[in-house]
Amino acid sequence: MTEETQQEEVLGKAYDLRLVRRLWYFIIPYKRLFYLSLALLPLQQAFGLAQPYLMKIGIDQYIAGKNLLGLQTVMLCFLAALIGETVAVFAQYYFSMLVAQRCLADLRVAIFSHVQKLPMSYFDRNPVGRLVTRMTTDVDVLQEMFASGVITLASDFVMVIWIFGIMLYLDVKLALVSLALIPPMALAINFFRGKARQTYRQIRVRIARINAYLGEALSGMAVIQLFAREEKTYREFEKLNADHRDAYHLSNLYEAGLYSMVEAAGSVSVGLLLWYGGGEVLHGAIGIGTLVAFKEYIHRFFVPLRDFSQKYTVMQSAMASAERIFQLLDTPLDVTSPKNAVVPKPFRGEVVFDHVSFHYKAGDPVLKGVSFRIAPGEKVAMVGATGSGKTTTIKLLNRSYDIQQGSIKVSGVDVREWDLRALRRHIGVVLQDVFLFSGDVRANLALGDPSIPLERIERAARVANAESFIRRLPEGYDARVRERGSNFSGGQRQLLSLARVLVYQPEILVMDEATSSIDTETEALIQDAMEKVMRDRTCLLIAHRLSTIRNADRIIVLHHGEVREVGSHAELMEKQGIYYRLYQLQYEREELKLASHDTPAQRLA
Amino acid sequence: MGRISQYIWRYWRRYLFGGLCLLGTATLVMWIPWWIREAVRIIEHGGSLSDVTYYAVLIIAAAVVQGFVRTYSRALIFNAGRDVEYDLRNDLFAHLEKLPLSYYHKQRTGDLMSRVINDISAVRVMLGPGVLNFVNAPLYYVYAMALMLSMDVRMTLAAVAPFPLLIYVAHQFRGRIMKSSLEVQQQMSALSSHVQENLSGMHVVKAYAQEDFQAQQFIALNKDYEVKSMEMAKMRGIVNPVMQGINGLTVLIVIWYGGIRVMRGDLLVADIVAFIAYLNVLAWPTAAFGWMLSLVERGRAAMRRLEEILETNPEIRDEAASPAIHALKEGIEFRNVSFAYERQKNGHSALEEINFTLPVGRSVGLVGRVGSGKSTLAQLVPRMFDVSTGAILVDGQDTRKLALRELRRLIGYVPQEPFLFSTSLKANLALGRESYSAEELTRAVEIAKLDRDVEIFPLGLETLVGERGVTLSGGQKQRATLARALIMNPPVLILDDCLSSVDAQTEAEILHGLRAILKEKTCLIISHRISAVREADEILVLDEGKIIERGNHDELVRDGGVYAELFQQQRLSEELEQI
Repeated sequence: MTEETQQEEVLGKAYDLRLVRRLWYFIIPYKRLFYLSLALLPLQQAFGLAQPYLMKIGIDQYIAGKNLLGLQTVMLCFLAALIGETVAVFAQYYFSMLVAQRCLADLRVAIFSHVQKLPMSYFDRNPVGRLVTRMTTDVDVLQEMFASGVITLASDFVMVIWIFGIMLYLDVKLALVSLALIPPMALAINFFRGKARQTYRQIRVRIARINAYLGEALSGMAVIQLFAREEKTYREFEKLNADHRDAYHLSNLYEAGLYSMVEAAGSVSVGLLLWYGGGEVLHGAIGIGTLVAFKEYIHRFFVPLRDFSQKYTVMQSAMASAERIFQLLDTPLDVTSPKNAVVPKPFRGEVVFDHVSFHYKAGDPVLKGVSFRIAPGEKVAMVGATGSGKTTTIKLLNRSYDIQQGSIKVSGVDVREWDLRALRRHIGVVLQDVFLFSGDVRANLALGDPSIPLERIERAARVANAESFIRRLPEGYDARVRERGSNFSGGQRQLLSLARVLVYQPEILVMDEATSSIDTETEALIQDAMEKVMRDRTCLLIAHRLSTIRNADRIIVLHHGEVREVGSHAELMEKQGIYYRLYQLQYEREELKLASHDTPAQRLA
Repeated sequence: MGRISQYIWRYWRRYLFGGLCLLGTATLVMWIPWWIREAVRIIEHGGSLSDVTYYAVLIIAAAVVQGFVRTYSRALIFNAGRDVEYDLRNDLFAHLEKLPLSYYHKQRTGDLMSRVINDISAVRVMLGPGVLNFVNAPLYYVYAMALMLSMDVRMTLAAVAPFPLLIYVAHQFRGRIMKSSLEVQQQMSALSSHVQENLSGMHVVKAYAQEDFQAQQFIALNKDYEVKSMEMAKMRGIVNPVMQGINGLTVLIVIWYGGIRVMRGDLLVADIVAFIAYLNVLAWPTAAFGWMLSLVERGRAAMRRLEEILETNPEIRDEAASPAIHALKEGIEFRNVSFAYERQKNGHSALEEINFTLPVGRSVGLVGRVGSGKSTLAQLVPRMFDVSTGAILVDGQDTRKLALRELRRLIGYVPQEPFLFSTSLKANLALGRESYSAEELTRAVEIAKLDRDVEIFPLGLETLVGERGVTLSGGQKQRATLARALIMNPPVLILDDCLSSVDAQTEAEILHGLRAILKEKTCLIISHRISAVREADEILVLDEGKIIERGNHDELVRDGGVYAELFQQQRLSEELEQI
């Protein structure tokens, strides 16, 4: 909220050629429709401006000349013009909205696709809400521009010229009298418009302040109350609120002035027309109908002048939104497949870390020259205290981030030379916090890939011990998964994520194991499923269970971003080094707990 | 509508004067076509130019006067709407300040914000533009119809014949547009939740190379949105031209039918001109008729929602007669305190049967697992929540009988989750106190080990905190909130695990500096690190809302219970750090 309102404060140009050009790129596929909607503009104006002229003819020629047939003819023309205008206005709006909706839909897809490719480090820095806003609110502002901005702005200008022309054609002197009124009116309108815009800008800033203050006060209400700051806070809020009200009081005056001005101008021009034109009529130079037509034309002249300032603001907001959108689209994709991407065949499940150093923030290294090799089919457990770099290590393996020094090789090829998609297809990742998408169970196991046959999904679920609880759901594999899988227990989510691995059958499994489940029955199922999932795969595991460590071929001890100890459980215990202490700290208690309960897990083992 | 009329009543002068101006405007607006008619009649009959000029001047004069009067009518009524908005927003804010923490646990800030913003705006629109049109429309109708009827009854009836159609069309489309726009909104929220979820699960999307499938799903939703939006655009696009068209139809009728009558000689061209002018005047109120009704509808609904907030009872408030307290003399006592959150049903409670005393000048430490009830216990002291049963006594007085303000002034509370306002660092530190000396400030900053950070900040203590200024790390924020409590210099300090994001080394330094201050004060210290509580006079170990062990550090270690185990673990991990 705060971020948005603050950005709202910055309003710059209403027209930026660079941005318009880039937007044009999205219009190109629909340019025929776009031109069609543009072509309808003069048509719509012609129908509209014909009406006063037809009124003039009807009154001056046929009513005055008592020609009923002529009057009927001209009124039928009037009806035709009326229908023509209605249709043309609608069609013009419809086509321009069609262009807008289609090209903005494309723009949204472009943003979404681009965001999909952004490196993980981008998501660490940018809150999700801001990215959502780019695709929703900002694009909608551009739609507003299509609906009521650029196109009509241009057409208004054309119409003003039309009106001049017609008035001069009808009667030069009368046109000049009317024109004489227009410059002072335009000046006055311009004055009010300028003032209104100034206050409008002020209002935006002030409403943003109120909302920011309110948002902050609501989230910090506990602190306000604890420090007994209610009165002081209220006074501050009241002041912001009063500033906002005062700005509006001023703006209301200008807006009202602007509105009344245009209304009054219409009547003044009628007075002038009668005063000067009345004489002309009396001399027989023109008819009464001409006066009527002039009155209409003058009215149509002032309306676009009045609406100009509103359209200007729409354009300003649109440019600001476009700027933000293109900024996002211009964010470079750091992690991409190289030009001559390699997909090694046959794939060997071998992983080599060679003097890998990595930092998220410069000067704050997370991994310092980490080296190890995992042979195909080998199961390696990684242990270490919090912050030792375990999680980072597994994130590097599938190129969620790029390392700064050293190399990581999978199947003998540096991950940076791999085809990114292929690499990730070979590496299955199970994270501690299992992420489920809203949708159904099946879609979550197959991750939305419709080409995966149902048997494969069901087989995977069966092997991963997930079938029994899925079957128990009323809709089975079609059961709904709520946002973030909140309608499944932690244990069930883990089983689903293991089944997901089995659906994709990756050769390498990387797992940040979740802590053991409180529910002993589920815990036994998870341990059993884990063993099956790990079979015949190269595994790199961050272990939280004793059983996982026991099942590992080797243990790597990470400490402060370095590999400090490597070996089997027995070897490392004997050494009485870091692992020994870690074991006491993290695993011993679990062993005690398991021993005392004699869990089904142990019976299974 | 009781409350809303109170607000309107407060600005009755503005509304009354604005209404009078509207009446004046309408009168002038309505006489102009009449004078046009007179002028044209003179022209038609070939009268004298000076007579025409007379009416022309009259019209111009009326137009100018009308310009001013109209400006004031609009400004006055719109301003009254803003005035009510201002009052309403203030009252809401003041009320929100009184609502207890439990209310904010139930409401999401974002929801509350958008309700306050959107609903206030709906009420304001009802009381500004809504009132204006509500007064204007009948006024214009009565005036114009009377004048038109006085000119010619049959012409009037013929001219206004399409008006029912106009109202019908407006009404029809309004319903459909509202329905359609609801669908567009729903589709938009489906679209944005998809994006939201996709972005939150980005690590999974990337790990399984699912970018394309995600994009396909997005494209499908996006297409639906496009289709729904187009449906709405179609309807929006139809309304205005059709309304204009119908209005044009009335003019057509007047010229056609009027023309025939003129030819027959029982009507003047001047009448036709006047009729066209009246119809133009009526075009807007007619078109706006449905719109106005919907404004009132929405405004009333919004006001009802705001009243819900305004009528929420602040459960924690001052009792009628609360004795003043200035200093702590005896201490704080928890007597049989149990507490359950509202959401906890079937007998589960966050705290059960808590009994302990914290004598003045002493300190009590609280340890326990996450969710054991430590923070809840601490929050009960300044009455962020009220106990369910039992009582908390300050100097023997039930806290519920004390003035809330005075009670909270006694306590310096350093919360677990540091919250700073986006003003200067200095203003944040001085939150609890109006005036303080420069030394007090420096000392507090030093003890909280914030001095080194302040030196690096571009503007020192004047540095703005938050989005527009320096973004503080979790540890810096925690240290700032500690300094904030220290400057307040209250007799009681509650430290709610307030150094969790501070590294062990700095924590040790802070604890060292705090030692002298803690001796002068009555302290409740919560921590997940033993080092912070080991010197407390009494340590309570909390588990599932109950005190399971109590005693001083040495006793608890000797007893070999949960505390001893925790102590052992922390020693191990400290050892590990050293390797």
